[in-house]
Amino acid sequence: MRKRASAFAALASVAVLAAGWELGVQAGVQAGVLSPAGTAAGTAAGTSDSSGAASPGGAPAAAAPAAAAAPSGTFTGSAVQTRFGPVQVSVTIAGGAITDVTALRLTDRDGKSVAISNRAAPVLREEVLSAQSASVQNIGGATYTTEGYLQSLQSALDAANF
Amino acid sequence: MLALMSIDTTRRRPARAPSAPPVHPAYQRRMRLADTLQVLSVVSVALVIAIFLADGGAVRFTTPADALTSLGILSGLVGSDLLLVMLLLAARLPLIDRAFGHDRAMAVHQSLGKPALYLLLGHGALLIGGYALADNSTLPAEVWTMLTQLPDMPLAFVGLALLVTVVVSSIVVVRRRFRYEAWHAVHLLAYAAVLVSIPHQLSVGGLLRDGSIQRYYWLALYAGVAGSILLFRFIIPTVRSIRHRLVVAGVDRVAPGVVSLRLTGRGLRKLNASAGQFFIWRFWTPGLWWQAHPFSLSAAPGGDTLRITVRGLGDASAALPTLPTGTRVSFEGPYGLFTERARTSPRIVLVAAGIGVAPIRSLLESASFEPGGATVILRAPSPGELYLADEMAALCARRGATLRVIAGHRPAGVDSWLPVDAAAAGITLASLVPDVGEADVYVCGPRRWTDAVVADARAAHVPTRQIHYERFDW
Repeated sequence: MRKRASAFAALASVAVLAAGWELGVQAGVQAGVLSPAGTAAGTAAGTSDSSGAASPGGAPAAAAPAAAAAPSGTFTGSAVQTRFGPVQVSVTIAGGAITDVTALRLTDRDGKSVAISNRAAPVLREEVLSAQSASVQNIGGATYTTEGYLQSLQSALDAANF
Repeated sequence: MLALMSIDTTRRRPARAPSAPPVHPAYQRRMRLADTLQVLSVVSVALVIAIFLADGGAVRFTTPADALTSLGILSGLVGSDLLLVMLLLAARLPLIDRAFGHDRAMAVHQSLGKPALYLLLGHGALLIGGYALADNSTLPAEVWTMLTQLPDMPLAFVGLALLVTVVVSSIVVVRRRFRYEAWHAVHLLAYAAVLVSIPHQLSVGGLLRDGSIQRYYWLALYAGVAGSILLFRFIIPTVRSIRHRLVVAGVDRVAPGVVSLRLTGRGLRKLNASAGQFFIWRFWTPGLWWQAHPFSLSAAPGGDTLRITVRGLGDASAALPTLPTGTRVSFEGPYGLFTERARTSPRIVLVAAGIGVAPIRSLLESASFEPGGATVILRAPSPGELYLADEMAALCARRGATLRVIAGHRPAGVDSWLPVDAAAAGITLASLVPDVGEADVYVCGPRRWTDAVVADARAAHVPTRQIHYERFDW
């Protein structure tokens, strides 16, 4: 390679890499704008209850009577950020029992995450339905999906005062 | 970028011309083309890394699992890009041949083989490691998970295995054990390896997700490379072979085992072949059709005749002297930069050994030089192995070139291109041709011998751009 070609190649490469870096930083900033809300919701869910009133943005549902009695309706959990993308579930409660869990968003950063979450979601749903709570076993090979799923579920259950 | 470069050089040229010695304008054009192609291939690597960064990849190095996964993705991207560059280099693109010559392009192709393989093996290993760490599982379990749970992964593993086969079969030691055709058949598996690895890049690779710009760029790269291969390796040679209807018109015996083949066809001028170029020939007789051989033109192409001079080397090419006239010939080419296009100066020195005289003879016939501006050196171990010597003598006399014939065995263990006694007497290219430093030096012969001539020319301070040689061992 001639010197001029090398210099030009180096210059062009640096320019291209810098442009890529800049785009990446901007994408990161945008994600940053969104994530505090997400994390806030996540932590609120993690610390359970407190201001549970904020959370049930979900479907209509019969308003949850604050005190006793069995809540029923559909409650949407908070979106939990994981390394492989946000996870959010909604839970349907009827007659004091968890009757359904729907995954609204699952880890989807790449094909692998999608495959993992597609495999884990039905298993988690079954386990939650039989355990009637968010304390179920971790699914092997789907740790992040499990954690996000259960955390989001817990926040929905908290909102429902279940 | 192209526009930028040409503006740059047109501005500079007038300022440079008076001080520097004049360099052939064709050479300047060729080097600009070569520079552009090299810059483009380097930038293509930078571009795939930039795509990774643009997707926010720079922050995914915080945990060991993330770092491994990110490095794996990067090495996959760069390895695939190099693989595409390799395929382009072997696609016989006219632009690449014009800029570097087929042999130089193939040398770069070869030198990229191992780095590309290592990057792609690294891609597999790093991702298995990264995923295993993230999932908290063992490596074999992770491989099993990938094969069973991820889309298109079995194909991707097959592709990697094919690639290993291709590269290993091309390592010199291994390659020597197989005949060329067997090796070449294995080599074509590289196309299959690349094809079966595409699905997982699009389905598992989150970076190239549906609807993203980078997905279209990636697909365009593959489409461009596939189109080039189809067009320049298969369609054009086939169409030309059919259109020009080349047949063997005559076989002239030159020496034992050495013949000149005269080939005639229709409209051969349209091929735009130059003296010194080669074609890859296929002779359609029962014993020969399955082999293709690269042979150089031994006469300047003109009218509707092409001539090659060949020595039957072992196997089927030993059957060439008995080729019946009228045999159909298909071909790929013309290729090569061992031509007038590579000229940089008005003087010329042509050095040939053995059957290497073939392209040298065609160059001598049509190269531009003033009478007295050319020297021809013919080398052979013995006078009996000088081929076309009479024709060369007649051509030299007609064109006013100095002819030197040097026969004798090379000294053992010393890298000299001259016979024992000449080497011992300290004779060199510079002493044979005093003005060699201002001439274009064209060398054609066996590899080791060619290397020795080139080294001698360098020692005589002949600038690299004035030294031209072509290898046929790709």
